Amino acid sequence: MLIPCPHCGTRPVEEFTFLGDASVKRPASNDPSSMEQWYDYVYLRNNPKGRFDEFVHHSGGCRAWLVISRDTETHEVFGCVTVRDYGKTKGGKA
Amino acid sequence: MTSYRLSSGGLIDRTASLNFKFDGKSFTGHPGDTLASALIANGVHLMGRSFKYHRPRGVITAGAAEPNALVELREGGRKEANTRATMIELYEGLTAQSQNRWPSLDFDIGAINSLASSMFVAGFYYKTFMWPKSFWEKIYEPIIRKAAGLGTASKEADPDKYEKAYAHCDLLVIGSGPTGLMAALTAGRSGARVILADESARLGGSLLNEREEIDGDSGIAWADGVIAELGSMPNVTLMPRTTVFGWYDGNIFGAAERVNDHVIAPSPYEPRQRYWRIIAKKAVLAAGAEERPVAFGGNDIPGVMLASAMRTYANRYAAAAGKSVVVFTNNDSGYRTARDMKAHGVHVEAIVDSRSESKADAGGVPVLRGRRIADVGGKKLAAGIELDDHTHIGCDAVAMSGGWSPIVNLACHRGGRPAWNDQILGFVPPDTGKDFIVAGAAAGRMLLSECLADGARAGTLKGKAPATPKCRDEAFAIAPLWWVKESHGKAFIDYQNDSTAKDLPLAAREGYRDIELAKRYTTTGMATDQGKLGNVNAIAILAEATGKSMEQVGTTTFRPYYTPVSFGAFAGPFHGHHFQPVRKTPLHDWADELGAVFVETGLWMRSSWFPLEGEDWLAAASREVVATRERVGICDVSTLGKIDVQGKDAGAFLDKLYCNTFSTLAVGRARYGLMLREDGIVYDDGTTSRLADDHYVMTTTTANAAKVMAQMEFAHQALFPELDVTYVTVTEQWAQMAVAGPKARATLQKIVDGLEMNDQSVPYMAALEVTVLNGVPARLFRLSFSGEHAYELAVPADYGNMVARAVMQAGDEFGIVPYGVEALSIMRIEKGHVAGGELNGTTTAADLGLGKMMSSKKDYIGRMMAQRPGLTDPNRQCVVGIRPVDPQDRIRSGSHILKDGDRPSMAADQGYVCSVAWSPMLNMWIGLALIANGRARHGEVVQVWDGLRGHKVMGEICDPVHFDKENKRLHA
Amino acid sequence: MPKAPVRSKPVAVAEVILPRVSPLADVAVQGRFGADRGAPGVTFSVRHPLSIATVIARAGKGKATAQALAEYEPRWAGPDQYFVVAQGRGEGALYRELKSALDGIASVSDQSHGRVIIRIEGPKVRNVLAKGTPVDLHADEFPAGKSALTQMAHVGVHMTRVGEDAFELSVFRGFSESFWEWITEQAEEFGYQVR
Repeated sequence: MLIPCPHCGTRPVEEFTFLGDASVKRPASNDPSSMEQWYDYVYLRNNPKGRFDEFVHHSGGCRAWLVISRDTETHEVFGCVTVRDYGKTKGGKA
Repeated sequence: MTSYRLSSGGLIDRTASLNFKFDGKSFTGHPGDTLASALIANGVHLMGRSFKYHRPRGVITAGAAEPNALVELREGGRKEANTRATMIELYEGLTAQSQNRWPSLDFDIGAINSLASSMFVAGFYYKTFMWPKSFWEKIYEPIIRKAAGLGTASKEADPDKYEKAYAHCDLLVIGSGPTGLMAALTAGRSGARVILADESARLGGSLLNEREEIDGDSGIAWADGVIAELGSMPNVTLMPRTTVFGWYDGNIFGAAERVNDHVIAPSPYEPRQRYWRIIAKKAVLAAGAEERPVAFGGNDIPGVMLASAMRTYANRYAAAAGKSVVVFTNNDSGYRTARDMKAHGVHVEAIVDSRSESKADAGGVPVLRGRRIADVGGKKLAAGIELDDHTHIGCDAVAMSGGWSPIVNLACHRGGRPAWNDQILGFVPPDTGKDFIVAGAAAGRMLLSECLADGARAGTLKGKAPATPKCRDEAFAIAPLWWVKESHGKAFIDYQNDSTAKDLPLAAREGYRDIELAKRYTTTGMATDQGKLGNVNAIAILAEATGKSMEQVGTTTFRPYYTPVSFGAFAGPFHGHHFQPVRKTPLHDWADELGAVFVETGLWMRSSWFPLEGEDWLAAASREVVATRERVGICDVSTLGKIDVQGKDAGAFLDKLYCNTFSTLAVGRARYGLMLREDGIVYDDGTTSRLADDHYVMTTTTANAAKVMAQMEFAHQALFPELDVTYVTVTEQWAQMAVAGPKARATLQKIVDGLEMNDQSVPYMAALEVTVLNGVPARLFRLSFSGEHAYELAVPADYGNMVARAVMQAGDEFGIVPYGVEALSIMRIEKGHVAGGELNGTTTAADLGLGKMMSSKKDYIGRMMAQRPGLTDPNRQCVVGIRPVDPQDRIRSGSHILKDGDRPSMAADQGYVCSVAWSPMLNMWIGLALIANGRARHGEVVQVWDGLRGHKVMGEICDPVHFDKENKRLHA
Repeated sequence: MPKAPVRSKPVAVAEVILPRVSPLADVAVQGRFGADRGAPGVTFSVRHPLSIATVIARAGKGKATAQALAEYEPRWAGPDQYFVVAQGRGEGALYRELKSALDGIASVSDQSHGRVIIRIEGPKVRNVLAKGTPVDLHADEFPAGKSALTQMAHVGVHMTRVGEDAFELSVFRGFSESFWEWITEQAEEFGYQVR
């Protein structure tokens, strides 16, 4: 698989490390009442068949954290943006 | 022996002779021959024995799909088993051995299996060797393994080199027949970056095997002209001897280039094979089509081969498959063989055409229409045939054609399934998208003109496809024929696995009606050829047996690799010395000079101990500990990860990363930090120093340096992007040495420039920028892992060895010793300092006795989850010291802790020993353990049970600090 | 207890008495190696001693950093991140100069000793590098002056094209010996010179 790194250009998947579901959001609160949100954040991950946004680290290249949008069934890659840009567009468009 | 070499023609160089050996016998051939063609030319038709029945076998094909003529090529460490004789280029000095026979190819005892063949039906092994169950592993399997199997692997190391490489192109063309050449030429002329790959040594594909006419000239002449033009283009790379074996995501293709398989031994500077990853913007599959056999009795007897193979041997290699030939076909292409053989002067008895009508040109050879071959006579060579109407015809070779299967393999590697085409009676490729185009015969185009036009279209990256040269077309018509049921003898479907036409209806009767199940039950389509010849016939017979259509039965799954790829190519250069890179510290040479024994820690080589003559590791490490604690020692700690953290929010960022606080750290001071994972478990530890308001340097453990960096990157980029902070690894910039012991300060004082070292100028946990040895910039930290009055000195790496030598010189008068990671580890266990054994991915800060470090005033990674009930349970296992009740006893790492009197069980388990050491200061074995509610149990006597080694001693739970409990030495 | 960092007396660069020793000093032996027919396919040389610094822009200062670095021929090394390479500078001089020039707009870290730069040039340079990197090195895709972060033989490599047939490969010091052994072996088939 090839991943279009926004910094380095298209590179093979071997250069990247996957971290899974990019839809998770770290809760802002440290209040004990937020514990359920924390459990979800730490442990719950989507793993759909079809289009999926995932965190990837370009560990063998520019070392940026990216969000890749791909089809988990066909491996078609729809896009790849930095995790910062992904955060800015809220809900994400990789 | 009679010569079967034709007197003229062929693409062989008759001016040169090549000597080779097959099964110890000497033969000669010519450049341009394959091993198979040279053997045929020498009248050798028997080339191997079959897998199950040990039947005599000759070649079936002239190419990559060959199931029978598999040999062990070369000898010693270069031996390669299961190599297809049809693909081996002949070279001077070639040696090959036939396989799967004993004692000889000519007389093989295993052929007795053939007599008992009624037993060896599909599923025989499953049915027969099921019970008694205990027999399987010890008796049945070893015997079956010995009897079955193909060639044997060499036990010697392969002396040759292998490589890996990447290539990039606008268009990859796979196959150099008419379609591939036309595609490459079209794209090459447009200026695109083109790679043309073909498995053969000579480009030209089927044009080399057939008598074709293009552009008013022979097909070969046209091909040579195109190849010459392509060769002159700087934007075109020709890759002969290269099999493109797989199509992967992102239009990446895997290919194996046989750089030096055609010479007796490669030059020491060149690889034998090269494994390519070709990243192609677009690609064309122009792999052609594979002819199919027909199932009839004795269709495996040497002398019986595919019709296309027989004419390839004659046209390309000037080798006659026999003296007298019968052609058996269900389609028009068989007629070409009759005409070509006749043109080469070989007698053709008849064409047996299963169809009652045909317009094909027989070239004057008699045609028996509507007839089928039922059986072939002979054992080691074909001796006549019997038709379905019992007519006998004498011959010593049979050419068969059951139709053509487009070579769709690569097109199906990413999950697509081919579709059945009733016009050509073959599976045609699925939709492969716009970046991978299947063209020519691989796409089911059966006419040369169609192939050329298809190639031109596929090679047109923009604009209109160019016109193609004029050529002569052979008409193609076909009627189904899969299995001649009148046969008495065995009618083989899959030669390599010895599965016959009868096996498939049997499989269906026994319930294995799905093609994937029937494959596994009958073994049809397995092994090195992966059913290239037999699968379509198998599908057709299964379709009939189950009353389904071809489409409904479908194919089995196509997976890489198209043909076998050697392990050497996969490994490339990354074995032995290059298996993984070696990472050396800047103090490596210094340690090496002092006789250090090195240990691999990840990729790093770390000095482990420094033995004097006669010392083992324990004696050396113990001596190093005593000398350090009594006088002074120096240790290489360069491998600790060092990360430069800068920016206005550097302190705030560190506060997020660590459970304790760094924004309050004074400039010029260091602090120990503990990093948690978001789930509340401890991740890493190390000291961080503040060099300026906006500049920290943090250290990580050796093992976690890269992971911590990735964690920081995630934390900053994904979680806290608002922070103005930068971080970069500077691990390799610094040679860092720990100097520890009562004389550490006196030693360093002698090399530090212009600084009176005392507790005021360099207090405990100081982090200073100084110079040493007249101006070498250095960082001086007063830190201690050993529990001694100690420092860490960091200097730019290029000075490392010299500064370490200078420290040794300075400490000479005090009796300085170098110490390694073993002594380091002993001293930290004596002091109860936690390390990898305790920071093991299961422990919390509280478990480690560091719970007080967790700030309650700020958000940090892991804060919330560390508060869950499961992580704050007082009965959790926590770090304690453990020592034997009898000081003579030895405690072993990994032992479990049981209450006195308890029997070992999961329920009774109290914890385990994480780290142990022989303490030369206490003269006994000591350890650190994780024990349930351990801190409340100091003084309790427990069993230290090592089930693995069958060892049990009584131990006492104690404070983790075994030595110098008051920490007096730290400030001495 | 002192609050400010205690520093030893500043020592002028010229007073440094120790010479820098390259980790490849005993490894990169000069001469002709590998296939010995014709001109060497590539030539290797170790650029040592060099001054190397990492420059990373502070938040929102990407453009300012790029502008301030223009005269230094910075080598791209990631988003808003560069290597600056210089020859013939005293110990720490480049680092100090950049630190003062970029005060408040970028972080500077001295990497002069932490990285080793191997220069490789010659007609077969692309063939040798293609055995390691998946980066397309065709001049249209990777012109002179361009840099990339990649991996070769499991080692992280910062690669800069410095001429039509010349590249510089920067690796961590600790890997330099291992990397040298690997990459020179990849050049054996073409014959290589070490200068």
